[in-house]
Amino acid sequence: MRTQRAGDIASGIFLFLLGLVVMLAALRIRGAPDVRMQPRTLPLILGWTTAVAGGFLSLRAWRYRGEERAIPWPDRAGTLRVAVTLASLAIFLIFMEPVGLPLGAALLVGFLVWYLGRYRLIYAGILGLASGATVYFVFIRLLQLSFPAGPLGR
Amino acid sequence: MYFSWDYLTQGFLLALSPINLFWALVGCILGTLIGVLPGIGPTSGIAILLPLTTVLSPTPAIIMMAAIYYGAMYGGSTTAIVVNIPGESASVVTALDGYELAKQGRAGPALGIAAVSSFVAGTLSLIGLTFFAPALASVALAFGPPEYFALMFMGLSLVISLSQRALLKGLVATALGLLAATIGQDPLTGDVRLTFGSEELIAGVNFISVIIGLFAISEVLVNVEQAAAYIYERKKLEWMPSWADIRQCRGAMLRSSVLGFFLGILPGCTPTVTTFVAYDVEKRVSKHPERFGKGAIEGVAAPEGANNATVSGAFVPLFAFGIPTGPAMAVLLGGLMMYGLQPGPMLFRQNPQFVWAVIASMYIGNVMLLVLNLPLVGLWARIALLPFPILGPLIVLFSVMGAYSVRYLAFDVWVALIFGVIGYFMRKLGFPMAPMVLATVLAQLLEASFQQALLISQGSLLIFFTRPIAAAFMVLAFLSIVRGVWSEIRERQLEVAEEETGI
Repeated sequence: MRTQRAGDIASGIFLFLLGLVVMLAALRIRGAPDVRMQPRTLPLILGWTTAVAGGFLSLRAWRYRGEERAIPWPDRAGTLRVAVTLASLAIFLIFMEPVGLPLGAALLVGFLVWYLGRYRLIYAGILGLASGATVYFVFIRLLQLSFPAGPLGR
Repeated sequence: MYFSWDYLTQGFLLALSPINLFWALVGCILGTLIGVLPGIGPTSGIAILLPLTTVLSPTPAIIMMAAIYYGAMYGGSTTAIVVNIPGESASVVTALDGYELAKQGRAGPALGIAAVSSFVAGTLSLIGLTFFAPALASVALAFGPPEYFALMFMGLSLVISLSQRALLKGLVATALGLLAATIGQDPLTGDVRLTFGSEELIAGVNFISVIIGLFAISEVLVNVEQAAAYIYERKKLEWMPSWADIRQCRGAMLRSSVLGFFLGILPGCTPTVTTFVAYDVEKRVSKHPERFGKGAIEGVAAPEGANNATVSGAFVPLFAFGIPTGPAMAVLLGGLMMYGLQPGPMLFRQNPQFVWAVIASMYIGNVMLLVLNLPLVGLWARIALLPFPILGPLIVLFSVMGAYSVRYLAFDVWVALIFGVIGYFMRKLGFPMAPMVLATVLAQLLEASFQQALLISQGSLLIFFTRPIAAAFMVLAFLSIVRGVWSEIRERQLEVAEEETGI
């Protein structure tokens, strides 16, 4: 999927399948009595539109014979950086409620600053702690927002 | 609405009293902060402060709460422009061109134009509120579900048709945005749709999470993959807008003022909606529509003007009939009622001093906000000087807080993360994001209005063509679709011709 054409073919097929799944799911929605537009109508129309537009996108790209345009995918190192960033965010989300947002924010920011910038660990740690402290004192204590405080809330 | 120069003069005298000036200033500062900070919007800001204002008399209390609302409109643009995180949903459109300008080293001019446009539109729309409110209030009543549906439909068709060379992808993005918003309960019947057995999905997908994911998280991912040293390409930064920038935006400011004000008087037309319409109109009238989305300064002036004008417009039905046009106005209505003030025609007869003092204070508040915000432009723009490895994680953290604070559910942050990945792939594969965002924002109002219109017409679709206002919007919508298709076909024919001639 290095070129725009290949990308359009692949995304078109994906959209076509997504549209079919949506249509199947929409058909299983219960009907409501005495309403002019059934709850399933809009999802059905949207599923149909997505499937048809996806199919057309694929077909049009497949027939395209013009100049090939490359998709600016990242190199291996770039892909690894994106994957690690996403993984750290996912881990943070899994533990956000038990650990609390202040502590979680400190760990997330500290880790990402260290990983993305290769800063010294102490520097990244200070930035992480400052972020966590800001979340705790400004947003949880001062503004009284209902963010999970974790052990700090006990 | 019982306007008289005497009342207005008295209103100004009252608004200029030290106590009212002080609370207007407090409201402006708090509003700006609320706009800038993630996790707290004008509605929740006013709601949190409402009980605390009981120590005040009604006039300074309502002056402060109104100032919070329009102050948040000023502040919301800051994070949208500087780091691509809209502080408020009303600033989503500002991010489209504002952030592109920031990447070009023009965060300062973009922020400056946002402040100036907000001031101009805020003031012009206040003139509308002062002099033309009675006549306009009746217009709000002429808008029923068919007109709302037609207006939203026109908005969507405009955005799709403006996807230029990616019309089909624009249509797909719109369908995906509507699909995302369809997940959860049907707005009329409450039937559960497209949840695939997930309990979390029953409450639906919140559009704020979708927007944060598409804009902020996907932007961070793109910068992460490139190992960007700075979030902006250019290190040389401009701090303030030039006169040429202001001249370039004059038309946008005026048009967005009028549009934002007129749409603002319609219930349901929140600033989130009107900013999209103002942006579309500006792109349409521009001699260089291709610059929009790539850093057109009018693309900042239009939504910022529109959201402030909408706030003033929303006071027309609130004062005239006691009808709130959106959640923030509903909280303000609660505030008025808490003080025993019943909005409606009698409010102007029984409490003219109060009403005109609030209106006059809004003129003063707009000046205060301009004076407060312009010096801060340089400070905000300096965020660009932070290296990306520091700024990026902070953007991620602010995104998490912004998404979480909508309903205080971790699920919403997961939604933002998923849409961040979707946004990343959309950027790579050339799918426009604006139609998807607009569709997600408008979906519920669109579907509810459609269903209500069908209830009125007993199932006949002709209702959208037999009522003059609705019919006009529908005709415009179909014309824009036809124009979009025609432009795409013509461009493809030109491409083929160029290839054949070997140009």
